[in-house]
Amino acid sequence: MSNMHPKTIPSDIGGEQAGPIDTHDHGMKHWERQANALRSVVNMKKITCTDELRRAAEELGDKYKGMQYFEITTSAMRTVLLEKGHFTEQELTAKMAEIRARFNVPDEMESPIKKAVKK
Amino acid sequence: MSAEISQRSTYTPAPVHRFKVGDKIVVKRANPPGHRRTPFYIRGKQGVIERICGAYPNPEELAYGFDGKPEKVLYRVRFKQTHVWPGYAGPANDVIELEIYEHWLEPAGTQS
Repeated sequence: MSNMHPKTIPSDIGGEQAGPIDTHDHGMKHWERQANALRSVVNMKKITCTDELRRAAEELGDKYKGMQYFEITTSAMRTVLLEKGHFTEQELTAKMAEIRARFNVPDEMESPIKKAVKK
Repeated sequence: MSAEISQRSTYTPAPVHRFKVGDKIVVKRANPPGHRRTPFYIRGKQGVIERICGAYPNPEELAYGFDGKPEKVLYRVRFKQTHVWPGYAGPANDVIELEIYEHWLEPAGTQS
């Protein structure tokens, strides 16, 4: 090994055993398209920047490996927008409850990000 | 170069730079906390400056909401694969090139 210290960044995987690679195109779910569009907008409007989102993704630590790409990027966007005070945790929770009630979202469609946090 | 291309380019010149093309360098062997753009596997490895890419806002500062000033000089650095990966099975003259910021580089032979 070239370093004495353990890696601290979960996305820094150069040199690790890759294992089997899933090359199937899974497409994008509806929420993934929406979240991705929102992420593009907040970056273009300079509300967030790519480096902030990468940093917030890395800070997921051990949770990082158990999450899918759009779960990671959306979670990072949520973290940075909260940090910068664009809304509070309470406002976000209240808005999610409001929308959930409006659409009568069944429990089985609960957001994958929320599920990942519960693990 | 046409005006259109220069307007599109994100290149910013780096008139002040510590290293020049061909210089032998070693990547700092350090593991500071925080957002770092230098991959773990290349830390402590020796390479050669392949080109000066330009000067850019420091992503290690941008990552925390700061403006990234002063800008840091970014280099493309060439490493021998056999040096980077012990037991590398490919041709001995294979190389890998990474873009690394100046503050991660030291002149080869000066590291403790």
